[in-house]
Amino acid sequence: MIDSRPPPSLHLRRRRLRDRLATLLITAGGIGVLVSVLAIGVFLALEVIPLFLGADAIDTDALWRPQPVEGAAEPRHRWRPESLGEASPAHYGMLPLAWGTLKAALWALLFAVPLALGAAVHSALYMPRRLRARLKPTLELMEAMPGVVVGFIAGLLLAPWVELHLTATLLLVVTLPLGVVLAVGVRGLLPSPLGRRLPLGWAGVWLMPWLLMVGAITLWLAPWLEAALVGGDLRGWLAATLGLDYAARNAMIVGVAMGFAVIPGIYALAEDALNGVPDSLAEGAQALGATRWQTLWRVVLPAASPGILSAVMIGAGRAVGETMIVLMASGNTALMTLSPLEGLRSLSATIAIELPEAAVGGTHYRLLFLAALVLFLFTFLVNTLAEVMRTRLRRRYQRREGGA
Amino acid sequence: MRGSWRRYGEGPWPWLAAGSVALSLLMLLALLLLLATRGLGHFWPAEVAVVTPHAGSPFAGIAVREEASPGDTRRERLYFTANRDLEGGRWRWIELGEIARIDYPAELVMMERSRWGDLVGRLVALEGEGESHVGEAAWPALQARLKALERLRDERNRLRDEVVMPLVRRLEAVDSDEARAALVAANGRIRELQAAMGGATLIVESADGRRVEQPLEEVLRAWRPNAMTLSDRVVAWGEGVWRFLSEGPRAANSAGGVWPAIFGTMLMVLLMSLVVTPFGVLAAIYLNEVAHQGVLTRIVRIGVRNLAGVPSIVFGVFGLGLFVHGIGGSLDEWFFSERLPSPTFGTGGLLWSSLTLALLTLPVVIVATEEGLTRVPDHQREGALALGATRMEMLTRVVLPMTLPAMLTGMILAVARAAGEVAPLMLVGVAKLASRVPVDGDFPYLHLERKFMHLGYHVYDTAFHGDDVQAAMPLAFATALLLVLVILMLNLTAIFLRHHLRLRHEVPSRV
Amino acid sequence: MARVDERRWLRWMSPLLGVLLLLLTVRVPADDVIGPLSAVGSDTLAGPMLRWGERLAERHPGVRLQLQASGSASAPAALTAGTARLGAMSRPMNDHEREAFIARHGYSPVELKVARDALVVIVHRHNPLESLGRRELDAIFSESRRCGADQGIERWSQLGGMLPADRIVLHGRNVASGTHDLFRRRALCGGGFRVRLNEHPGSAAVAAAVAAEPSSIGFVGLNHLTAGVRALQLHDAQGRVVSPTPRAVRRGDYPLWRYLYLYVNLPPGSALTGPEHAFLELVLSPQGQAVVEELGFVTLTEERLMQQRDWLASLPMAE
Repeated sequence: MIDSRPPPSLHLRRRRLRDRLATLLITAGGIGVLVSVLAIGVFLALEVIPLFLGADAIDTDALWRPQPVEGAAEPRHRWRPESLGEASPAHYGMLPLAWGTLKAALWALLFAVPLALGAAVHSALYMPRRLRARLKPTLELMEAMPGVVVGFIAGLLLAPWVELHLTATLLLVVTLPLGVVLAVGVRGLLPSPLGRRLPLGWAGVWLMPWLLMVGAITLWLAPWLEAALVGGDLRGWLAATLGLDYAARNAMIVGVAMGFAVIPGIYALAEDALNGVPDSLAEGAQALGATRWQTLWRVVLPAASPGILSAVMIGAGRAVGETMIVLMASGNTALMTLSPLEGLRSLSATIAIELPEAAVGGTHYRLLFLAALVLFLFTFLVNTLAEVMRTRLRRRYQRREGGA
Repeated sequence: MRGSWRRYGEGPWPWLAAGSVALSLLMLLALLLLLATRGLGHFWPAEVAVVTPHAGSPFAGIAVREEASPGDTRRERLYFTANRDLEGGRWRWIELGEIARIDYPAELVMMERSRWGDLVGRLVALEGEGESHVGEAAWPALQARLKALERLRDERNRLRDEVVMPLVRRLEAVDSDEARAALVAANGRIRELQAAMGGATLIVESADGRRVEQPLEEVLRAWRPNAMTLSDRVVAWGEGVWRFLSEGPRAANSAGGVWPAIFGTMLMVLLMSLVVTPFGVLAAIYLNEVAHQGVLTRIVRIGVRNLAGVPSIVFGVFGLGLFVHGIGGSLDEWFFSERLPSPTFGTGGLLWSSLTLALLTLPVVIVATEEGLTRVPDHQREGALALGATRMEMLTRVVLPMTLPAMLTGMILAVARAAGEVAPLMLVGVAKLASRVPVDGDFPYLHLERKFMHLGYHVYDTAFHGDDVQAAMPLAFATALLLVLVILMLNLTAIFLRHHLRLRHEVPSRV
Repeated sequence: MARVDERRWLRWMSPLLGVLLLLLTVRVPADDVIGPLSAVGSDTLAGPMLRWGERLAERHPGVRLQLQASGSASAPAALTAGTARLGAMSRPMNDHEREAFIARHGYSPVELKVARDALVVIVHRHNPLESLGRRELDAIFSESRRCGADQGIERWSQLGGMLPADRIVLHGRNVASGTHDLFRRRALCGGGFRVRLNEHPGSAAVAAAVAAEPSSIGFVGLNHLTAGVRALQLHDAQGRVVSPTPRAVRRGDYPLWRYLYLYVNLPPGSALTGPEHAFLELVLSPQGQAVVEELGFVTLTEERLMQQRDWLASLPMAE
């Protein structure tokens, strides 16, 4: 009976075998790729271990505690990988580098988060769909800007420009938002057919020339304002009253340049989070008479907050690891201040400058590997946390939508 | 909805949010505009002014920029004055108040030279080979001579690239008398050409009346910027752009073009995509189609996604440690021990750079492919299986063809990401000036161990490592513009593809 | 009319001239120097090295130079590891590096001096300061003050009444650089830099930063002087004020002058490879030294050149 089956049985068996083989291959390939990808951390850790074990082990305390420094009364945190003779050995304090990394990320986020979240809110809630479909890819292009180009412009053009126009730059922080508010006022005064031509949904576009004008006016007014407010010498005033010294390569420049690089990432994820909030929630609030902004503030934002937080965290991860921008724009001074007007030195830039020169297998070399490991662990941790939060959120809404 | 736009009860906040969109777009626009003007403006033959100060002798130069003196209301202007052999420098700052007169004499000649940079002045005479052209006649004679010189140079370069270099490579492999004789002959021919280039001298008078004797063979090009018509300028601009794209760098990367960097970038990216695409797709298929969907796959998926967030420099460190010093070192010990202690694979090179960047961009491909896979509706799979297809057949005949655009998008995004990365390459194989391109006519044709030049690194190098940043800036801008254009184009293609994909599968996006 | 005649004459003459030149050049001894030439080292020397490479390719079309220029410290490391046989350095090799080389190879690397340079202290072009003494320089740049200054100088006003009270912003090179190392040894008496020093990855970046910032001071090689910056005069041991001109360097008056070096990994008694020999010959030739001058460095003295050329000639010839 069984023999009476048509010959395809052999064919089928071969097909099945081929299927199983291919599946096996895919599995092996897939698992291999995943394992090798995840092995990065393990490999870095293996390279670092000799620092702490074995004969050449260094004093781990020296990495994180202040050390006596020649010419300074009290112990200091110091990264100086060169020895100055017998009396003054090399200092490998990693704290200033970690500090610089976090400081750069902090200033970048201070610049990027308001802009990115504002853009996300605007495009998720107010923008017409057609415009939003254009805006998203445009901001994606912004993310694709290579760090080396942004760093080059920040270091060689923006830093000298801000140096010359410090007052104007600081004033812009105030005048640009004021300019927007003013624009709304002016629009209210316009005869209604003209005012209707400038809807809120398209404000992202028609505010551009307006802001440009506000910027130009600020630039033009800055010298007078500087003379009127701080006696014509902003830097002297900053040093005298706030105790802030100015260096052209500073955290503010790095913050703006790196902020530019992280805005699109934060924007995209935050917009996703806002869009992911079920429409039923917002509609309910609006039906009860809330304005769109009230709906956003009371209903949508709290619901999307884990997603927005994860967007900010992923932005922070990007800012912490960015290398070329910091290398070219920061001045690489391993200071430990929070001042936005002074320089900094990050882990990533230090690796990029010093690793090609370090003797393979030496203490300096392994310490730079340690720096890489720290960066890896930090970003991996932050990103994983953000990702977990995001998936949780997504599932919550899926459940809610299913229930509704 | 439309009606609510007219409602004013929302306060300033929505407007500020709109302002942040405007500001972000403005910044992007400003960056692109800056790159375009500074990068492309470099090739425009600018007018040369003769500036006569109130005190001192006149000088000729191209106005570069103006600045306010610090702590002062006076403004000063920077001129590019060339003539480094005469003046000791090639820049001059002058206060606007000190300038008595500015003229633009049509007869001023600007010359690009192989030594000492540019020369600017009035052409007095062209002498040599027993004849001399004086005054107005010198300019057409100079142009004719320069054309002849150009032909000789081309001939020499052709000889060097097509005859001498292959012979040298043959000789390095096997020593043969025949090749040696051919090489001697070719070298002799090159020397002849070189000798034929010499002999003529230009007499040039600078703006302050000093005369220089300039050997003609060192002059690469000459033009009279003030006498050019608009169409002349456009042509000269086009030629400049073409030279930039097609020539190699000269004078320690401070002049000439970026062709080797373009080639190096493309080759590296190509190799990388050859590695990353199959593995990325494989991993995505495994995660989405083969593996049991449980906690483990979820963790792995999160891991892969987050790898996209790991800083690029960390991949560079990993590549340096594992590929260069680990695998490369062992390869050298096993296969290239006769060349030790000179490393072959134990130093940064093309292969290690491609692999490092492949690892860096793997998450991009995996995520994009997975996105495509999830978009294939389950009923398609079920239909195929119900018709008796094995899982493999279902994948290759039904699912993968539908995911093809997604894979392509992933690959393009990976390429765009890789083309802009510089930091890891600084550790694993980029060179300031690579003497030999990694591809040539010599077996095995593709030299994976060689170092290569890269556009992004070239920007960094010209801007930070040259002799004179001021002079190198335009070149750095042009290179940066090129890099950005390439990346923008790749991204636009990816965006277009993704859009196309969405339309095809018509997954309704939420309103 | 006359112009047409001239041209016809030219067309008629040029083949003749070509033949004449051909006859002349056939006499040049034909050689067949071929092969790769790989060098590692100083960023300061990158300019001359690349241009020497270009000239060498003109003389010997079969030779190509590959250069990796990240800093002087990379040269001894590469020579010791064998990555390259030529190492360019903007400072002499220190004992530690030399010992490491000898430990690996059993002999010393050959040291050639190829040019002279000076470390120039630069300020913004509008800075009114004229000159600095050694102690002042140390007090500005170092925190250890090994040269004997009583207190550090952090503000311009500490250098003279007419200068502003702004903080002095320091610009310099990263640790791997020979410029950084030499400045530390010679100007800071071996002490350490202040943390506030902006460490730039290239000398051009230092000059650019100083040119853009009126309250800054920095140090670069002689060849990096650009329009936006002004070189300060320094006090020599006798207290005289000297500007960093090529003449002062040539006479040895300027205190912070230095040699630029090429190190060669050459076992005693063995020959250089063809490309290496040709390269060194070019470097020490008048044409090679003209490159040095063109780039803003200072040529070697004729004696020094002769001495090194003699050494090169005394080497056994490669087969």
